[in-house]
Amino acid sequence: MLPILQIGPLALPAPALILLVGFWIGLDLAEKHAHHFGADPKAIYNLALVAMIAGLVGARFAYAAQSPGPFLENPLNLLTPRPQMLDSAGGTMIGLLAALVYGWLRKLPLWSTLDAATSLLSALAVTLGLVNFASGDAFGAPAQLPWAIQLWGEARHPSQVYETLAALLIAAIVWPGRPVAQHSRLRPGFRFWVFLALSAGARLFLETFRGDSTLVWNAFRQAQLIAWPVLAVSLWQIGRRLEPLPRPASPEEGAP
Amino acid sequence: MMNWINRNWTLLSILVLAVGLGWMVFLPPLAEAATGGRIPAPREGFLAPDFTLQNAQGQTVRLSDLRGNPVLVNMWASWCPPCQAEMPDMQKVYEMYAPQGFTILAINTAYQDQKSSALDFVAQRGLTFPVLFDLDGSVSSQYMVRAMPTSFFIDRQGIIRRVVTGGPMSEGLLRAEIEQLLREDR
Repeated sequence: MLPILQIGPLALPAPALILLVGFWIGLDLAEKHAHHFGADPKAIYNLALVAMIAGLVGARFAYAAQSPGPFLENPLNLLTPRPQMLDSAGGTMIGLLAALVYGWLRKLPLWSTLDAATSLLSALAVTLGLVNFASGDAFGAPAQLPWAIQLWGEARHPSQVYETLAALLIAAIVWPGRPVAQHSRLRPGFRFWVFLALSAGARLFLETFRGDSTLVWNAFRQAQLIAWPVLAVSLWQIGRRLEPLPRPASPEEGAP
Repeated sequence: MMNWINRNWTLLSILVLAVGLGWMVFLPPLAEAATGGRIPAPREGFLAPDFTLQNAQGQTVRLSDLRGNPVLVNMWASWCPPCQAEMPDMQKVYEMYAPQGFTILAINTAYQDQKSSALDFVAQRGLTFPVLFDLDGSVSSQYMVRAMPTSFFIDRQGIIRRVVTGGPMSEGLLRAEIEQLLREDR
C-alpha cells in the first residue's frame, strides 16, 4: 500500500498518479488498435478526452449537489483543486453520457468505436486494480491463507491482486490479433461484449472475497446483483454475433 | 471446437448464468463481507481509532466521549504552511457549526514540533477549537499520518467518512463534508 508518494516537500497521491498513467497508456493503446476495428484513431482520442473532461466536471458538480449550500453562496468553491471534492459515480455517469452525445453528434459507428475503446477500458480495469492496491481500497475479507496480506489490522484476501490479475487475463483475451478481436472484424461489437461478459463474470466471482461489499437486504452483495444481469445481456449479445453470417448471393442466384 | 461452442451457445450461456446465480445465492455474504465499520483503522469506512490526549491546560480529551457528534480530527504542525493556511477556514466552520454539535480536535504533532510555537500560533490566530498535543507521536502513528496536514471527518457513530491528506482544505470542502455529517440522523 502506497497512498502517498513523498517527494521532498511534495505529498503526491499515488493512486491518482497511477490512474493518470493508466488512462494515458489506455488511450494510446486504443488509438493504436483503432484501425483493427475500422475506427478512426482521432475520433477515439477525442471521444475519450470529451468523456474524461465531462466526467471530471460532472464529478465536481455531483459532489457539490450533495451539499449545495457552500457552492451556491460562493460558486468559486467549485474551482477548488481538491481531488476529494469529486463524486466518482456521478462523474462516471456524466462522462458516459457526454461520450454518447459526442459519438451521436459525430455519427461514429457505435460497435466499431466500442471495440476500439475496449483497449482503453481493459487498461483502465488493470489500472483500477493497481489504484486500489496503492490506496488500500477494495480490500479483501479476512482470511487465513498463505498468500493473505496484512491490511487494516488483519490478514486478508489480496482482493486487489486478484482483480488486477483477472483484468490482465481479460486484456490478453481481447488483445488485437487474438480470435476474439479478429471475429470483431466480421461482427462489430463482439470484442466489447466479450470484454463486458468476462469483466462481469470476474466481478461476480471475485466479489465474494471482498471485505468491503455493500450488502442488499443483508443477504446479497450489490456488485454481484449488478454483475449478473450485465453478464446475461453480454452473453446474449455475444450469441447474436456468433450466428453464421448470411452467405453473399452468388451471381447465378442473383440473376433473374 | 469453435463450431461446437457456436452451436451450443444458448446452452452454455444458461449454464454460466446458473453457476453465477448459484455462486451469488448459495455463497451468502460472510460476516466479514462488510467489516469496515467495526474495526478501528485510519481509513474511510472504518471505526476511528480511539485516543486520549491532553490540551494546553492539561485537561484530558477522549475521542470516544464525543460519539454522537460529528468530529474533525486534524493533524498539524506549526511549521507546516498548508496547516497554517487552512486554520482560518477551520475556525470559521467551527464557529458556524459548533452550535449543532460539531467539533474539531486539532492534534499538534508535538513530537516533531515546539509546543511553545504551536501555542503562539493558536494565540495569534485566535483559534478557539480544542488543540491537543501528541507528545510521543503515538496518535500520529495510530492514524498512519504520512503527510501534513491530514484530516479525518468522523460521523456520529465514530466512523471515518473522509480522509483528506495534504492541504490546505478550502472552506467549500470543509462545509460540504461537515454539512453532510450533520444531516445524518443521530
